[in-house]
Amino acid sequence: MNPETSLWTDLAFWAFGLAAVWYGWRVFRTDSMVRATFALLASFLNVGAIMVLLLAEYLGTALFFMMAVEMAVMAIFMVAFMMNPAGLNPMQMVHQHRFAIVAGAATFAGLAGLGFAVDFPDRPLIIAADTIQQLGFELMGSSMLVMQSIGVTLLATMIGAVVLSSKWGRYGDSDAGSVPPSLDPEQREEDRS
Amino acid sequence: MPLASVYANDWLAIPVLLAVVVGGVYLVSVLDELFGEVVSGSRPNLGRSLRLPVRQAALLLCQSATRTEHPDRILWPVAPAAYAALAAAGMAVIPFAEGFAVADVRTGIVVFGAAEVLTFVAVYLHGWSANAPLALIGGYRSLVQGFSFMLLSMFVLIGVALPARSLSVGQIVEAQSGLWNVVRHPLGLPLFLVVGLGAALWGPLRLPDSRELAGGTVGEVSGPQRLAWEFARRAMLVSYAVMAASAFLGGYLGPWLPGPVWLLGKSVAMLAVFVALGHLVGRVRPERFMAQAWTVLLPLSFLDILIAGVEALP
Repeated sequence: MNPETSLWTDLAFWAFGLAAVWYGWRVFRTDSMVRATFALLASFLNVGAIMVLLLAEYLGTALFFMMAVEMAVMAIFMVAFMMNPAGLNPMQMVHQHRFAIVAGAATFAGLAGLGFAVDFPDRPLIIAADTIQQLGFELMGSSMLVMQSIGVTLLATMIGAVVLSSKWGRYGDSDAGSVPPSLDPEQREEDRS
Repeated sequence: MPLASVYANDWLAIPVLLAVVVGGVYLVSVLDELFGEVVSGSRPNLGRSLRLPVRQAALLLCQSATRTEHPDRILWPVAPAAYAALAAAGMAVIPFAEGFAVADVRTGIVVFGAAEVLTFVAVYLHGWSANAPLALIGGYRSLVQGFSFMLLSMFVLIGVALPARSLSVGQIVEAQSGLWNVVRHPLGLPLFLVVGLGAALWGPLRLPDSRELAGGTVGEVSGPQRLAWEFARRAMLVSYAVMAASAFLGGYLGPWLPGPVWLLGKSVAMLAVFVALGHLVGRVRPERFMAQAWTVLLPLSFLDILIAGVEALP
């Protein structure tokens, strides 16, 4: 690669890298489920951009839409099933502070240390090489069994989740017989006991 | 530099793209006005239709912006900008003439698909960040609606990539020099138009911003921010029209006239179809649309990819 390109590539790498870390940090500092979800998405988008810089364009771009869909699903399900209505109320986003901080710092240090310790091979990629086709043959060739197993497992999980959360089931409505809580506090206490 | 052999990229294409977006947005507004007059039975008034979008835009610019209680100060104004930027990003992979594109990358249709998915995130965040109930419901509608035809759009786009044996939009256009994709697998274009209506929140699929939600995600938005949102919706429609023209109608290919003229003509025709659909097709109920998207449209997209695959076999 010519040095001009590599300077811009380096600058872009640092910009995306810092943005990915910054948004990753925001995930834990924000007070809303939705903000945390989409801060995580922003972090992933920056990681995807770094993958595009590494000429893994298909994987990088795929990361964009995969993570966009996943975080959108998270926005629906995690928020829908939480006591915090629609993620609009401020809430504490972390628990087990001390353990989480130690585990996070240790993992980051470990992985970052690995980056310095490992002697990475220096094999410049031929830009014109058809990396996307190679990836396709890999996924649909030697890794076929793994990919298909993962696919079927994910599908079964999704169907299971939908069945469990469905209001209508084989034995009738899941909320049959339930009554909304009374608006009168004393009545509510009685109902509870 | 071997990069040139992989990416058809032209810096001059950037101002062209911006002109296409702005001109297209204006054209959509004018066409929409004209169709509205035709459909309502009054005599279409071209002069009035040409002036009205400018007047409306000026009015929105002068309007004061309403505020809600504790909106998300960053996401709320950023969402319309992100929506418009995603429309432009999707269009950036489409060549306007042979070898003339902002970035005709190897993964063109994947980039377009990623922009489409992020569109639903932008619409959701726009609805969510207003901190108002109806806007929030609109936002959730956008996600749910998006999920029901994201797969559909992906299969349709893979269908156009199969005969080209490439994900690049330039290659996809070139592969149609013998026969347009709309003839090769006729199911693709109508399905793609449905996706376009959904991504631009247009006509029958204007569910997140619909009137029965008192405007939904835009219910609380006025002034310049509203103008930006309406601009972004139309820009998205333009993006889908140019993509439909390139992926199904041979893009810039055509005899006698220069390539860009062909692409322009086909894109305007697609825009006219979008606008006409917006006026002629009744609004759908969100639940009913979801059910039909999964049970009717998705199987149709399987059929489309099957036809495209069989046709593409050597």
